[in-house]
Parts: sequence; C-alpha cells; structure tokens
Amino acid sequence: MTPITRDMLMAYCDGQLGDADRSAVETHLAANPDAMAEVALIQRQNHAIQTLFAPAGAEPVPARLKPARLAEAQKSRRWQTLQRAAMITALLGIGMAAGWLLRPSGGSPQLYDRLIADAVSAHTVYVAENRHAVEVAGDDSEHLSTWLSNRLATNLAMPDLSAQGLTFLGGRLLPAPAIPGGRAAQLMYEDRGGERLTLYITPAQGVDGPDYEKIAFGADTALYWANTLITCTIVGNEQPETLQAIANTVFAQLSPGQAAERVYRG
Amino acid sequence: MLEGPSAIRAVLDQFLDQLESCVPALRRYARALTRNVDLADDLVQDCLERALAKRGLFRPTGPVRAWLFTILLNLHRNARRSSLRRGTEVDIDDLPEMATPAPQPGHIALAEMARAIETLPPEQKEALLLVALEGLPYQEAADILQIPIGTLMSRLGRARAALRLATGTPSEPHLRTVK
Repeated sequence: MTPITRDMLMAYCDGQLGDADRSAVETHLAANPDAMAEVALIQRQNHAIQTLFAPAGAEPVPARLKPARLAEAQKSRRWQTLQRAAMITALLGIGMAAGWLLRPSGGSPQLYDRLIADAVSAHTVYVAENRHAVEVAGDDSEHLSTWLSNRLATNLAMPDLSAQGLTFLGGRLLPAPAIPGGRAAQLMYEDRGGERLTLYITPAQGVDGPDYEKIAFGADTALYWANTLITCTIVGNEQPETLQAIANTVFAQLSPGQAAERVYRG
Repeated sequence: MLEGPSAIRAVLDQFLDQLESCVPALRRYARALTRNVDLADDLVQDCLERALAKRGLFRPTGPVRAWLFTILLNLHRNARRSSLRRGTEVDIDDLPEMATPAPQPGHIALAEMARAIETLPPEQKEALLLVALEGLPYQEAADILQIPIGTLMSRLGRARAALRLATGTPSEPHLRTVK
C-alpha cells in the first residue's frame, strides 16, 4: 500500500489525486484521527480563502477589460504610431534635403540644387501618403498629361515604366519654390513590393547647371538631369544601377529624339 | 493552414475568446494578490494588453490560461518591486475589516485569514492562491511560477503552516505517525 505522506494529504485536500490515491487516503483518514484533523484544517483554510476572494471572479467584467475592445484600441494606437513615424521620416527627409543644400561648398546653392532638394522633400512627403499620394490617379493618364502639360507650359507625356516593374500611380501639381512662380509635376510609381519612386519635373527655362547629377539622401537616391526643355529629378530607394536604368527609360520617353546616352554621363 | 484574411480573422477571434474566458479568473487572482479593486483591474488590463501585443509569439495550441497567469504575475512582481522602492506598500492594518463571526472551534475568522495571507512571503502567497483559490493542478501552478513541482508543494506546505500559526488555530496533535 502506498505510504500516506503529508504531501498526499495536502494533494487530497487540493483535489489533485487520482481515484486510487484518493481512496487510499480516505481509508487512511478513517483510521487516523490526527491525519483527519490535518485534512480538516487544510480544507477550512481553502474554504476561507475561497470565501474571501472567489466573489471577485463572479463580478461583471468592466468594459475596459474586454479583449476585443483592447485589441481595437491597440490597433488604432499602432496606426497612430505608424503615422507619426511616417511624419518623422518626412521631416527627416526635408531636413536632409535642407542640410544638403547648406553643405559647406561655398556660395549659395545653385538653382538646380534647390530643385533636387525640393524633389526630395516632395518625394518624402507624398510617398508616405496612402489615400492621397497623388492628386490625379494614373488610370486617367491622358487627362493628367494634358493638365500637367498646360500648367508647365511644356509637352509632357506620362512615362510608362511597366517594363521596370513599376505601376503608374498618378501625379500632382506642386509649386517649384526654387523658380519664381515655378511649377512642378510630381509623378509617382510603385513597384510590386509597395516601394515608391517619384519624378519631379519642371520646365528647364532659366535653370543653369549640369545636365546630370546623382546624390544619395539616406536610403533614397536622387538622380537629376536636364535637357533644353525640362529638368527631371528621379527619387527612389532603388539600387543606383536600377535607378540608372529607370532614368534611361524616363529620359527616352520624356525626350523623344534626344540621345539617351546623355544620361550615362557622370 | 492559414488562408487569407478571413482565416487570420478567425484565429484572432478565437484568441480573443480565449482571453475573455480567462478574465474572471485573472481578476479574482489579481484582487487576492493586491487586495485592491483598481490595482487589480489595472494589472489585468496590462496583462491583456501585453498578451495581445505578444500574440505573434504565442503558439495557439498552448495553454492560454497558464501563459496569462505568468504574464500577470510578472507584471505584479514588477509593480511590487517598484512600489517597495517607492515605499508605498499597503499597511496590513489599513486593510478593510471583514465581518468577523465569533471564533468558534473549527472556524477560521475570515479577517484573521485575510491578514494572515498578507503576511506570507510573496512566493508562498502566489503559490497558495493559484492552488487554493484558482484550483489549478499542481503542475500548471508550477509551470506558471516556473518552479519544479516539489518546490511548489513545499511552498504550499510552508504557507499553510504559517497560516495555521497566524490564525491561532488550536495546535494540532503532532503528526508523528505520518510517513
């Protein structure tokens, strides 16, 4: 027969024993008043603890402890955090662009420098937008082309970058603060992974400087080029070679008839 | 296998249901640990939020209840440590008096019992309440406390001996025959 230990008496009181052990303990208790007294005491303690605290478990649960509600609150907090993060990224992007403009290169920033900085700022602000990333969606490409061509007073086709795996999202009209009274068109593309790339296009009138420039801003790279009619700054976080290939396609479509080799310079 | 958003939604709903079914027990245990309605509910809310935030780390097949109790206990211990540092531990004498029936042989005065539980070392109190109040199997209680089952049982034994002394229960005949 199993020896009845003190631990077994306790386990008996706590309802932890299987049938065989339980009946063994009961047989033992019937013959041992001391053990019976021990068991009775533990049971009284258990009973007192339950009398004291069990009612809390029967109270109606307050709304703030409803898991579904907490899950909802957590979701909306996570959204706010994401939005804040996007905002900070945007501010940092603007900060980086501004910092780059003020880089110690001597003299005031060139006009084309400021165009690049504006392109990067606009890129950072609008790629973070979900519902309002563009003003006019890309599926109305013809209207977009007419509208932006009129505003920029230059003939502007919407480059098709589907061969590069980029979907045209659409575009918007922006001020080009670097040029007095200037306007810019921003066109946005998205790859399959949701990464976005923008083109920032202005008329070339009055813009001096190199035809080609490439600058890295953190994870993003800005690739600027100009011809006699327009300037275009491509901003994205693609690898430099990929961005270069995209630039060639953009250039070919925006400047039909001009030699694509020009983009290779630099 | 998960397939698509509706399946993910179903898993989440199931998880929320599991959490919800544990809330009454968590409240009861937290109340017994803290002896304070608001502190206890704060603790349960923190526990649920932590569980929701960590649900990605949770295997849906595992025991949700034990996992929740472990989270709750960790939060409680952290809070206790920081309140000890701040020196705002609740005085036992400030605890509300319970309606006390005249002590009779065979009865344990509830107020006396409540105070006696407060005087237990925290690790004994945590163990005793998991078993005596929540009625958990020893193995599950040991898992929650992350201790071996033998340690759990010795804590329970010591807690009960201390309660016996503190509640002034007439001394038991000595159990020398028990082996």
